Amino acid sequence: MGTLSGAMSIIVGSLDADQGAISVTTNNLANANTPGYDRQIAQFNENTPIVEGNLVFGTGVTLEQAQTVRSNVLQLQLNQETQQTGQLGSFLSGMDQVQSLFNETSGTGLQTPLSAFFSSLQQLSTNPSDSSLRTGVITAAQNLATAFNQSSSALTTQQSNLNLSVQQSVSQINSLTGQVAQLNNQISGMTKDGEDPSALVEQRDSALNSLSNLIGTSVISGDDGNITVTTGNGSPLIVGDQSYALETQTNAATGMQDVYSQGQDITSQISGGQLGGQIQVRDQQIPSVLNQLDTLASSISNAVNAQSEAGYDANGNPGTALFSTPPAGVTGSAASMSVVISDPSLVAASSDGTSGSNGNANALAAIANQPIADGETPADYYSGTVFQIGNAVSNATAEQTAAQQVTQQLQNQIGALSGVSLDEEAANLTQFEQAYDASARVVTMISDMMTEAINLGQD
Amino acid sequence: MSIRVDPNLSSELIAGLDLNQQSVNVDLEELSTGKDVNSLGDNPSAAASLVGNQTQSAQVDQFLSNISSVQGLLQVGDSTMSSVVNLMSQAISLGVEGANGTLSASDRQSIASQMSGIMQQMVGLANTTYQGNYIFAGTNDQTPAFTLDASAPDGVTYNGNTDVNNVQLSTGQTMAVNVPGSQIFQNSSGDVFGALNQMITALQSGTGVAAANTALENAFNAVNSQRVFYGNGGAELDTAQSFLNQENVELTQQQTDLVGADMGAVASDYSQAQVQQQALLAASGKILGQPTLFDYLPT
Repeated sequence: MGTLSGAMSIIVGSLDADQGAISVTTNNLANANTPGYDRQIAQFNENTPIVEGNLVFGTGVTLEQAQTVRSNVLQLQLNQETQQTGQLGSFLSGMDQVQSLFNETSGTGLQTPLSAFFSSLQQLSTNPSDSSLRTGVITAAQNLATAFNQSSSALTTQQSNLNLSVQQSVSQINSLTGQVAQLNNQISGMTKDGEDPSALVEQRDSALNSLSNLIGTSVISGDDGNITVTTGNGSPLIVGDQSYALETQTNAATGMQDVYSQGQDITSQISGGQLGGQIQVRDQQIPSVLNQLDTLASSISNAVNAQSEAGYDANGNPGTALFSTPPAGVTGSAASMSVVISDPSLVAASSDGTSGSNGNANALAAIANQPIADGETPADYYSGTVFQIGNAVSNATAEQTAAQQVTQQLQNQIGALSGVSLDEEAANLTQFEQAYDASARVVTMISDMMTEAINLGQD
Repeated sequence: MSIRVDPNLSSELIAGLDLNQQSVNVDLEELSTGKDVNSLGDNPSAAASLVGNQTQSAQVDQFLSNISSVQGLLQVGDSTMSSVVNLMSQAISLGVEGANGTLSASDRQSIASQMSGIMQQMVGLANTTYQGNYIFAGTNDQTPAFTLDASAPDGVTYNGNTDVNNVQLSTGQTMAVNVPGSQIFQNSSGDVFGALNQMITALQSGTGVAAANTALENAFNAVNSQRVFYGNGGAELDTAQSFLNQENVELTQQQTDLVGADMGAVASDYSQAQVQQQALLAASGKILGQPTLFDYLPT
């Protein structure tokens, strides 16, 4: 039955709904520049009508909810890409230092001291009695040893820096997993109580994205809006309201910090995120380059020493080693390489015991073109190292460019879906305002009508 | 409903500006270094080839330096040999004079003493040094090659050895840079010192001067043929030198091909990137300053 008071209650409901809608719009406007904010839409629902005989009376409108517009799929994709850009970014910044040590395009690296050493032996062959040329050989040998020492120590320093970064990343990861676990708890609480946890979900998304930047993760949705997060290899990070901290422990053999989850060493299984990139450079790239430097330093030392011992010095005595004997097992050869003679007359240039003979100087110089390092000449072996470093950087750079483009696209898509448009909000605001105006006018009219009804029958 | 677009344009604009700035930076670096490979990652295979190229180039430079050192040595050797040959001619003339049967004993004695002088000069020439090294002493080059020794059959003692030094002129090419003094001055087909010594004795005694003259002739021929080594050596060095200079040109060209930037292309890229940057900035300014619907709502 349609009554004036019925109409009044409809119109009051409408005023409430419009006010609510305006408040949703203003909240959108207020958060237009909040990172990670997803816009909300005021969702009106028609109230259940009343049926009387053949008549159906509408009972107005309710603001059902402020519906958040978001796509979990896009968020997951964004997290995946963030893992990749995080990993590539930290990989490249780690490798940048490495490649600059061997930047042959600007003349830094081992090629110059390597060539200079063999040239000094060639020069000595033109006048083996010349003491200044002998001194030249010792100086060039020292420069070569120093170049090996410095490259090796710069790599080791870079490795320790990355080791420190690994520890920092792990502590950042732990703080984020703690946050996510707490948000999980709050979200499931609100969901159980039938409340809208959107604002917290956005915070959790943002924390998850930061986490993805640090480490590769898998996310599984659970009951009551909970999520379970594991590392890429399945070690738990967050389950419900519980977070599982990663730990670091010093590896006795390498001196580096290994990453442990629940007492298990997962260092080599970590991929993705900054931590993945840092571990990749620290545990794979740098050790590989160091090992190649050691091989080269040890091959040169051994070959030069053996040839020196086959000749004679300027005093007619059997030749002695020019370089220190590399450690057994090669490791550490580049770091420990040094020249062990300082008296120029001890350079074993002679092949017959006279100081004027250059036979052994020629033989020493010829080492430059002999396959002494893993079946390659020293220069060829070194150029392989240069290629390997360059190739790692070049591949990662290409992948990073691609990943950045994908990330940008995903952000555009997320923005297109969830971003706040000022035009749209202006239109909505106007629409709700007009509806509110109309309803308010109706209130006045009904109120007039009621007055008329009360005064019915009076003169 | 129409397709919704990302209302937040600034992030995309910033990404675009960043990208453009990157390409401006790359162009600037290439312009300032003249290379389009400025780090290993720019072109790994070119960087690796560059190591080979520069190693080869350093070797070629060193071979050229070897050659110029050897050139000095051979020049000194050549001019010494020329003096030796002249001195031998003088000895032969004197010997012919001494063979004249009408000479008095005192005349012969005077010729003999001149011949002794030649012997001493010859020892002096045989002890020629280059950069402090006795060039005719084999590899035992820190002591004089020959010393006068009256008790020796040919009047001298050879202190050197018969070893020969080789110097590398290019990859796979070496060259002997000395001839042992014993081979030049005491050759079995003509012994310079022996012949001079024989002549002095013959002149002093007055017998066997003709035979001594023959010995001098033989020694002259022998020493003259040894001179060829020094003459030819110079030509071999010149050939090697011009070959290496050519190789140097090729290596430099190869290096440019590997890492050199096409400056014209880079300059045009650079100005294009600058124009693009201006356009992006202008567009950004306009887009970000664009009014929204709010600007048109009645107040």
